[in-house]
Amino acid sequence: MSETEIIHKLKQGNETAFKELVENYRNMVVNTCFGLIHNTEDAEDVAQDVFIEVFRSVENFRADSKLSTWLYRIAVNRSLNFIRDNKKRRWFQSFDDTIEAKKEELNRLSSSDSENPETSLENSQRALILHEAVDSLPENQRVAFTLNKYEDLPYKEISEVMNLSVSSVESLIHRAKKNLQKKLHHCYKKKCI
Amino acid sequence: MKCKTLHNKLIFFLEGDLPEKEANEMKAHLAECESCAAFAEDMQKTLGIIHIEKSPEVNPFFYTRLKVQMENEEEKTRRSVGFPVWEKVLQPAFFSLLLLAGIYTGIKIGQPVTAETSHSIFAETELVPFLNEMETEPIETFLME
Ligand SMILES: [Zn+2]
Repeated sequence: MSETEIIHKLKQGNETAFKELVENYRNMVVNTCFGLIHNTEDAEDVAQDVFIEVFRSVENFRADSKLSTWLYRIAVNRSLNFIRDNKKRRWFQSFDDTIEAKKEELNRLSSSDSENPETSLENSQRALILHEAVDSLPENQRVAFTLNKYEDLPYKEISEVMNLSVSSVESLIHRAKKNLQKKLHHCYKKKCI
Repeated sequence: MKCKTLHNKLIFFLEGDLPEKEANEMKAHLAECESCAAFAEDMQKTLGIIHIEKSPEVNPFFYTRLKVQMENEEEKTRRSVGFPVWEKVLQPAFFSLLLLAGIYTGIKIGQPVTAETSHSIFAETELVPFLNEMETEPIETFLME
């Protein structure tokens, strides 16, 4: 089924078309959500909501934009909303719970490579540092950087997802990298690892 | 090149964003400066995490789970739709029915009363001569007898 065919059938409520859409785009959507949320389970939950929204609002989809652009946009919005809600929730959560969640995240990361436990522990520590550095970026820098690095999207497509000019995206990514560099240098001097 | 200059451009060098001339200057500095080389290696490793994390293994039951969630949500919306129907239509209808029933029983209860009163008016007129008789006789004489 081609993209237009999928959309056409989806508008008629065809379930096979929906299944094909999910199979074709789930990795892309989960990966985008993960890039912003940094947690596999949460990223999958948000990705599910993305597809439900797609199914329910396919009527509003305009054929002049790419399906992937539309999916990226929904995935980004949903992930950012999830992060905002999560922050609010964390505000009421105790400090211990936050630490516990971090530990679990670390365990999951380090268990991914059981053959080489030392590198995997180092990698999970690095992952935490990277996630924290990325999370500290302003929202639009974070989105542009994530789409560029996790999804290898060219600036042109990012500009379509974010409704910005290509030069704005270029500048966002440039500033994102500068900010990350600052964070990582600070961490290196402090010997975070 | 100064170490500080390198630190300010390192990420762009690692990402391949620098023009060839600048990249070569960076390479030259990294070859002879141990501390900058160590920092470069550290940053490269940290940024390399993105490549490890990319394209995660998605749960094979993703679609099945999605379908279940969609059904659950439909159920929820059906229930949440049911509530406004009760609140907006059935509840007012129930209360107006109750009101009408009240009025009807009111009328029903009221009707025999009016019928009785007309009856009692008739009874009163019958009673009147007797009452008048009572009135004509003073209470003191009645008690004395
Ligand atoms: Zn140096």
